[in-house]
Amino acid sequence: MSELQQSIRRQRMYLFYLLSIFVLGWGFTSAQSVFAGLILGTILSMCNHWLISRRMLRFNKAVDNDLKPPRLGTSTRIATAALAAIIALRNPEQFHMISTIVGLMTAYAVIMIDFVIQHFIKRMIRKEVK
Amino acid sequence: MGFLAAAIAVGLAAVGAGVGNGLIVSKTIEGVARQPEARSTLQTIMFIGIALVEAIPIIAVVIAFMASAQ
Repeated sequence: MSELQQSIRRQRMYLFYLLSIFVLGWGFTSAQSVFAGLILGTILSMCNHWLISRRMLRFNKAVDNDLKPPRLGTSTRIATAALAAIIALRNPEQFHMISTIVGLMTAYAVIMIDFVIQHFIKRMIRKEVK
Repeated sequence: MGFLAAAIAVGLAAVGAGVGNGLIVSKTIEGVARQPEARSTLQTIMFIGIALVEAIPIIAVVIAFMASAQ
């Protein structure tokens, strides 16, 4: 399994943990619209993460085999964000708008934090080897 | 006016994301061609770069929908 596949699997796991925390917040707190927005945003963000990881793996395979690289599918991911915005705007009582946007950014935050953590872990391993 | 603002926001964000993604992909392919042993690291960094570049148009689309709804 490549480094990219490992990081994708780890990020997906973190996203599922976050989603479970949001579901618990939705079920056990009074701020239901905030957590419903977070859940909506995180689900669509996970969909975006799945799309980008699938495209990246296909892109890497094409580069390795000297084939024409496929498109990265930016428009699909922007359409997913538009879908989240439309759902939140149509149902303002059920979904809090700002929390939906925060939920949409969850995958990107997870990717960044995971990268920083892995960077420090690799640096520590390199120092121990020296 | 709201629709004009939405169109400008989405259009400029899409142009920025397109240029950014193009630069990331071209430099990654260049790096892989120059140093094939660093392919795995470069692909991971490319994945993170593309994800970060795409965060901006996603926020722009949401802001555009909010502007056009008002």
